[in-house]
Amino acid sequence: MALELKSSDNKIFEVEELVAVQSETIKSLVEDGCADNVIPLPNVDSKTLELVLDWCKNHVDMKLDEEKLKEYEDKFIEVDQAVLYDLLLAANYLNIKDLLNRACQKVADMLKGKTPEQIRETLNIVNDFSPEEEEEIRKENLWAFEE
Amino acid sequence: MKNINTACYSMAETSTSTSTSNKNMKGSPITNLAPDQLFSILLLLPIDSILAFAMTCKRFKALACSDTLWESICRRDWGPSSVDVLKSSNFQFQQQWMRLYRQISKLESVSCHKMTYPDGELELPKPRASHSLNFVSDCLVLFGGGCEGGRHLDDTWVAYIGKDFEKMLKWQKVNSGLPSGRFGHSCVVIGDFLVLFGGINDHGNRQNDTWLGQVTRRETLGITLSWTLLDVGTIAPPPRGAHVACSVDNKFMLIHGGIGLSGLRLGDTWVLELSENLCFGTWREIVTCPSPAARSGHSLTCIGDSRVVLFGGRGLGYEVLNDVWLLDMSEDILKWVQIQYELPNIPGGVSLPRVGHSATLILGGRLLIYGGEDSYRHRKDDFWVLDISAIPSISMQPTTLISKEILAKMWKRLKASGYKPNSRSFHRACADHSGRYLYVFGGMVDGSLQPAESSGLIFDGELFLVELVLQL
Repeated sequence: MALELKSSDNKIFEVEELVAVQSETIKSLVEDGCADNVIPLPNVDSKTLELVLDWCKNHVDMKLDEEKLKEYEDKFIEVDQAVLYDLLLAANYLNIKDLLNRACQKVADMLKGKTPEQIRETLNIVNDFSPEEEEEIRKENLWAFEE
Repeated sequence: MKNINTACYSMAETSTSTSTSNKNMKGSPITNLAPDQLFSILLLLPIDSILAFAMTCKRFKALACSDTLWESICRRDWGPSSVDVLKSSNFQFQQQWMRLYRQISKLESVSCHKMTYPDGELELPKPRASHSLNFVSDCLVLFGGGCEGGRHLDDTWVAYIGKDFEKMLKWQKVNSGLPSGRFGHSCVVIGDFLVLFGGINDHGNRQNDTWLGQVTRRETLGITLSWTLLDVGTIAPPPRGAHVACSVDNKFMLIHGGIGLSGLRLGDTWVLELSENLCFGTWREIVTCPSPAARSGHSLTCIGDSRVVLFGGRGLGYEVLNDVWLLDMSEDILKWVQIQYELPNIPGGVSLPRVGHSATLILGGRLLIYGGEDSYRHRKDDFWVLDISAIPSISMQPTTLISKEILAKMWKRLKASGYKPNSRSFHRACADHSGRYLYVFGGMVDGSLQPAESSGLIFDGELFLVELVLQL
């Protein structure tokens, strides 16, 4: 059975039910009998939705091949930061647990072991602390960096 | 349809408000994420990275220092049960989880307090060693042990502690005769019950009976404790004394080793599962390879989340051991894994091999190791924290190389202030509800120039309290 999903920019995606129900949100709609018409997803643009559906489809196809699936996942998540956050938001909204976990892990890996300055660079954040404030915080948190 | 629409509306609202609120954040797409999502990401990071994130800008400092997040971090690193107990206890830490985490991480010293007794108290428990001491149903329970002349004791003593720290205690003798007198037995807490196993009496008879003890507090009758023999059917571990036991997840009792019928040290592992109605129990042996070598006088402690830690003891060749083993009871295939470590450089020749020490779970999911004897038969009075929380629990292979940074933090010697108790071994210790206080009773203390001679054995009868010092 096929479902129709509409992205925020009004693009329609026809998807097999088996693939679409990887999303717990869509799954409950189907179970409640509300999925007969086109399902609007005003929070997901077509670019992101296309990626998300690719993830879902491959998770159905490669379900039994753990190694192949891991290879796919690793490659899939190698995206620009902006795309990564869009995927994370979409996975959260559509309630696709494994995608959400993978995206969160990718962001965590980006930040792990970095100094504050390095994190600012990675995330493109401006330091809005005064030098005194910064020194105070550094001293407060020294305990976590000792030994 | 309406489910998705309302979900969309609230999601859209959050996104727009976060991205336009702070112009500092333009061009920084991570700001599209909601606090909950940022928390999920932060919970995947080690503490130093979480704090580095907090030091990037004001907005992220507020987020990364939030109490909600740090309660989750405490759950993650200490185990959910520690956090739940803290929340329900009267411990005054004003729910500042980040501050508490820091205080526990920085734990450097303990403070000892001598317990006092109300005036006019007549009877106090006799000095003894290799007894059992447990905290159950808000009470401290003491049973059995060996005393002067190598005689066994069969008395049960109870003291009501309640939910708060008290330096004054009132011992009450509640039973005599049942279970039969013994020392070197084990006693653990499962739910509101004490589960006692094995031990040896002064005729040299080793036992393998299992007893259930339950404390009852009544208005008029005061505190009583009833012991019942547990029906375990035909399968039971061979009789033994000086073995170790611990309760796992409030459901099982795990035992290991000890000295068996022939006087030989054992190295077997058994688990007892109680029936729902607690009327009978089933023993089953856990056979794994490799497994900790045969030994007695070691320690076995559950550190939460179905993981148990075994340390030290005296082996088959009479040598004092210092190895650490971990068993994860939640895994499908159970296996003991040895955790290899290097002794840190400590001046004064402090040695870690121990027998007759106590290893108690304290706040923060770590073990407080106290006293015992070393390889030279010297009784110790030092306090150590054994921290294996950093060791990954998932499918550890015996040959896994653990990073040096993690191993370096495994052992930490604590300073001790306040009352100075005698060096001791074969004492017993147990923590209260909060995990911040340890009650220690009895044990053998030095009495002559040559402590190895049995004539020089002195049994101690004092109860003292060990407090974890949380610095600001």
